[in-house]
Amino acid sequence: MNKTVTINISGIIFHIEEEAFEKLSKYLNTIKGYFSNTDGGNEIMGDIEARIAEMLQTKTSAVKQVVLMGDVDSVIETMGRPEEFAGDQQQDNTYQQQQTHTHQANNSAKKRIFRDPDHKAVAGVCSGIAAYFDVDVVWIRLAMFLLIFFAGVSIWVYIILWIVIPEAKTTADKLAMRGEKIDINNISKTVMDEAEQVKKRIEKYGNDFKNRDFSQPRNAIEKIANFIRNFFILLGKLFARLIGLILLIFGVMFMLVLLSTIFGFSIIGANTEFNDWINLFFLERSHYTVGIIGITLFFGVPILMMIYGGVKLLFKIHYTNRWLNLSAGLVWLSGFVIALFIGITTGKDFGNGGKIKEQVQLIQHDTLYLTLNNNKELMNKLNIQDDEYHTNRGRIRINNRRSDYMIGLNGNSKFIAGRSSLNIVPSLTSDFELYIIKEARGEDKRSATERAKKIDYKTIQQGNTISFDDLFTVAENEKFRLQEVHILLKVPRGKVIHLDKNLEHFISDIENVTNTFDGDMINRRWIMNKEGLTCIDCEGITQNEDDLTEPPPAPPVPPINSSVNTKDADIKIDKDGIKIQSKEGNVNINEQGIQINTKENTFNE
Amino acid sequence: MINSENTSNTQGGAEKAGAQTQMRKGVLELCVLSILSKGDAYPTQIIENLKGTKLVVVEGTLYPLLTRLKNTGLLAYRWEESTSGPPRKYYKLTQIGEQYLKELQTSWTELVEAVNKTISNNN
Repeated sequence: MNKTVTINISGIIFHIEEEAFEKLSKYLNTIKGYFSNTDGGNEIMGDIEARIAEMLQTKTSAVKQVVLMGDVDSVIETMGRPEEFAGDQQQDNTYQQQQTHTHQANNSAKKRIFRDPDHKAVAGVCSGIAAYFDVDVVWIRLAMFLLIFFAGVSIWVYIILWIVIPEAKTTADKLAMRGEKIDINNISKTVMDEAEQVKKRIEKYGNDFKNRDFSQPRNAIEKIANFIRNFFILLGKLFARLIGLILLIFGVMFMLVLLSTIFGFSIIGANTEFNDWINLFFLERSHYTVGIIGITLFFGVPILMMIYGGVKLLFKIHYTNRWLNLSAGLVWLSGFVIALFIGITTGKDFGNGGKIKEQVQLIQHDTLYLTLNNNKELMNKLNIQDDEYHTNRGRIRINNRRSDYMIGLNGNSKFIAGRSSLNIVPSLTSDFELYIIKEARGEDKRSATERAKKIDYKTIQQGNTISFDDLFTVAENEKFRLQEVHILLKVPRGKVIHLDKNLEHFISDIENVTNTFDGDMINRRWIMNKEGLTCIDCEGITQNEDDLTEPPPAPPVPPINSSVNTKDADIKIDKDGIKIQSKEGNVNINEQGIQINTKENTFNE
Repeated sequence: MINSENTSNTQGGAEKAGAQTQMRKGVLELCVLSILSKGDAYPTQIIENLKGTKLVVVEGTLYPLLTRLKNTGLLAYRWEESTSGPPRKYYKLTQIGEQYLKELQTSWTELVEAVNKTISNNN
């Protein structure tokens, strides 16, 4: 006992054994495959099916109702294997085309893109494209050549296309490569044909639906489902092409950006300060080069794959090169690892901070005048112009750009210079104390400290004036590791400092009782008292000029409890308070508060 | 020696088969057009006519040929209902087809004469 299937060939119903059905269906599908690329393929199929139906009819009768395996075999034998009669189909077509020019349009194969090995200069990419778009190959080659000058775009594009586009090896490939000329007429014709086909199919399904066998409703539904599926497949194909185009456009754009960035970096690196920074930043010069290669691969490979995928989708190239994907992945990964390795190696050298604190011995005065030193020798080495330095009052500019670090030249050796800063805090002793704090980063604390020791910074005391260098320098050829110098001046209570105008950008957030900003602290004198730094000659706090010229009469002085007389000042302490008198001015501290009078005041204001 | 002879034999055989196939294919077009010039026919009839000529090894060869000739405008067709089976596609020679057949017949005659002459001269 065998199961049978009911089938319909050319409108004739047959009962056929299941196995025989499978064989027949496979056979018909193979033929269909052979003619799928041929215009009129459906028609040929229809003719063949009609003939098969006729043959099968002769093999069945009222007595023998079922089509058996042997019947199918004999039909296939009579009809022949598709490779026996369909193989040279495309060749026949062109032969025909050459013979009858008047009717050439209908039956040429669908156009596909191939590399043309017969007209190649390198790999036949240009000639293939020219064949596809039906233009003279000269123009394509010219465009490719010109694009070389846009950061070599076309070289990359060419290589990708070389990989992506298969070579036209067989005659069929070569014919498909030339294919039909693409113009408006052809496109509209193709669309019309396709629409006609769809219309026919719909009508067919409609008829099938009307005449459907109600015992087999599944069949009709399946057909409708099939139709819907085909519709979406078509839609999907269009969508894939669109995506391909977008990928291609963006891929080429990203490629341009990447190439011009690398190109730009190599130009900058060739002849400017940037080059020095590379040498001082990386442990070795080669690390930079390797790092750039790593980053290029890391970004470049996905971009290349984007273009690759775009071209594949756009030109409907289905073959996949698994080795290519695999090696692209490996190259990308190695780019990532290289970039990561360089990043970690370089970053590690910044890992730990080290600090040393040096005290500068000072000759003590009641008032210290703080100013910025114009270190001409250093400015020369840094190639900073005298006027540049002065007009900007300590704000160093190079090419109108403020920078915290710069590179100087001492003979043939490069060195780093950086901006230092000054902070002023109360002293716990009765002396002015000056500290220079040097910081640097290194692989570990010890190497960082070693590096900090290689920082050079100078202050000069002349009488009651201390001049600070604006910049510190790092030993020659020493790497850049975020070296910093902070200067700390500790002011004892009761002592005065004066900040010169040129210190505006040198001092950093000095705490004071009135919360005055750094910019307003300059060009004034400040005394350290119990609360902190207090401005002596600021507006608002300052007494007016009358007070200065005629100080208020002091209350009668009772016997003195304590008195110190020095060369610079007299200090008296008694029940009325503390009274200090000096050449520069007077300070009275009593129940009414603090009174400060200075001679300097009148000169400065 | 035996081996090499064998190889050359098989090669010769393959070439012979290929040439014969090509010859048959070329002549088949002429035969189909000739059959249709005597009256309209549907594929099965054409095959009946060709049977015994050894021109058609497998029937499948005929259908692509018919479609191609139809597409190039040499043939046209009409549907006719059949009492016993599926509707039949009756092919018919068009005017262009008739003209083309005439040209083909002339060149065929010339070809046959030329070939015969060459063969007999060389023999």
